[in-house]
Amino acid sequence: MAHDEELIRDLEAKADNVRRNIFTIFESSQMGHAGGTMSLIEIVTALYFHHLKFDCQNCDWLERDRLVLSKAHCCEAIYAVLVELGVLPKEILSTYYRFGSPLQGHADRWCTPGIDYSGGSLGQGLSFANGLAYAEKLKASLRPPSVQSSMPRYIRKDNPLYRTYCILGDGECHEGQVWEAAMFAAKYKLDNLINIVDYNKFSLDGPTNEVMLLEPFVEKWKSFGWYVIEVDGHNLRQLVDALDLACNLYGDLKPKCIIAHTVKGHGIPHWEATHVHIGRGEDISRGVEEGRAKYGHL
Amino acid sequence: MATYNKHVQIGDRVMAAEGINSGMIKAAEKDDRIIAVLEDMGFPGIGWFTQNAPERVIECGIAEANGAGVAAALAAEGFVPFIHSFAFAAVSRACNQIRQSILQDRFNVKILGREGAWGEPGISHNHIEIIGITRVMPNLVIVNPADIIEAEKAIMAIADYIGPVFLKIEASPPPLKIFTEDYPFNLGKAYTVKDGKDATIIACGYMLTESILAAELLEKEGIDARIINMSTLKPLDNEAVIKAAEETGAIVTAENASIIGGLGEAVATALSEYSPAPLIRVGIEDEFSQSGRITPEKDELKAHFGLGAEDIALSVKECIAKREKFNKKNS
Repeated sequence: MAHDEELIRDLEAKADNVRRNIFTIFESSQMGHAGGTMSLIEIVTALYFHHLKFDCQNCDWLERDRLVLSKAHCCEAIYAVLVELGVLPKEILSTYYRFGSPLQGHADRWCTPGIDYSGGSLGQGLSFANGLAYAEKLKASLRPPSVQSSMPRYIRKDNPLYRTYCILGDGECHEGQVWEAAMFAAKYKLDNLINIVDYNKFSLDGPTNEVMLLEPFVEKWKSFGWYVIEVDGHNLRQLVDALDLACNLYGDLKPKCIIAHTVKGHGIPHWEATHVHIGRGEDISRGVEEGRAKYGHL
Repeated sequence: MATYNKHVQIGDRVMAAEGINSGMIKAAEKDDRIIAVLEDMGFPGIGWFTQNAPERVIECGIAEANGAGVAAALAAEGFVPFIHSFAFAAVSRACNQIRQSILQDRFNVKILGREGAWGEPGISHNHIEIIGITRVMPNLVIVNPADIIEAEKAIMAIADYIGPVFLKIEASPPPLKIFTEDYPFNLGKAYTVKDGKDATIIACGYMLTESILAAELLEKEGIDARIINMSTLKPLDNEAVIKAAEETGAIVTAENASIIGGLGEAVATALSEYSPAPLIRVGIEDEFSQSGRITPEKDELKAHFGLGAEDIALSVKECIAKREKFNKKNS
């Protein structure tokens, strides 16, 4: 499905605003998961500003799409989006990592409005997303008979009550639990579940595939029973098209996996060169300086 | 014959797990939000579920980490998932998942962990450390019912309670039927099975049976022991412990689990903080369990670990002697 130039330009502008908010966070905290956050910008931008069914006035809306950020250390990206959406006030950005702040070091459902999943310990988000997606199937089957499809519940062709999105890091795909979860989603035909892997090719100890071999990655997901779409994770047009396709395929009884090829520390030369994972002090300030020079202030 | 509290009528030995089955069916009939989360280890009352509500059965296979995450999210969406497997699998194997995905957000997930301190399967399945492991976890309620009646009532109670619960189901040997049908199970409250003035035995799970037998042995020697059933291990009913310490001055705890981190330590903490009194902990020392034959005539592990009625009775007498020694020293 082709999207018009204007939409893509608009999303690119939003992505830049999200980056600027992230720089504000880092300027105050002087530390953060810079690399994995920057690789995520276009993915969260496409989701929140084009795709997700989300009510900024009512983050607990029962029919909202659910988003599970499994790589919850990169919550800076979500915080930046929630500020851009007006869910959180701008001033809050400087409280990241501070005692009593709603912006915890890792995403926390209790502390921050608009967060669906508390994470930090990696490899667990897809299981939680499975539960959310299964619950949607259950709720749909419990709808009043008058609105229930006469078809068995796994082959309803109408829209789900809500969709569940999950964002996995590539490093956390080394966890066995990710593959337990992958089997579960296929077994229960969770076609209302869309998983996006931020495949930025680097984890803390080095290149992800040297730390532990993930490849052939696409084939792995396919062999686990998933419908796989590969995109350039920094190309908003490809991302929105892939997300649209994943939604339109609803009813095919398959969970969807979008493998987004990304660059760790994307857009910031120092962070790209160092494949920064968690940055502190000089690493952060130099990257933010480069970012400000490129993207400016809001 | 000892005089018991009015909700106690000692009967024959019967597996407490039968009460888990009937309780699960009653709870699921009453509340259609209850979901059975299986981890390839069966489920209490599964026949009812498959016949009446197959969509409320989720089979996760031998993948307990994923099972915990799925259950957490079901609870987030308003369902009441019950996970069932061996305690070493459902709880220990998925400790970090339970901590992050269930307890951090205090999701309404119930975990039924099977197998007690002894049995034929050996070290792996005789997960004697489980109470210590779970007691340190915030937001988690821990229950260890003592007989078939209490098991059923405990399941009904935890289904009504909003919040995460770990319930330990003991596999063997069968305890006595202890309680009457109108026994009032209160989550978080101890129950005095038998009053007594000379010492108090505080027990949980199967060890309540051995404690009752111990009290009968002691009675023949003229010692009047109180018996408290502490089926909720967390939060602990501190008031019952303090009252027992003040009124009897000697406490023996009895658990078929490691004495490190278990009931004995919980009681020790309450005593030392609120009402110091001599204490002896009957349980398994700092070691692993092993395989052993269990027949009505012979229980090799009970004998090996010193968990029988005779052992408890001996500990009560030792504890009374300790108290007398303290009293003498302080007078």
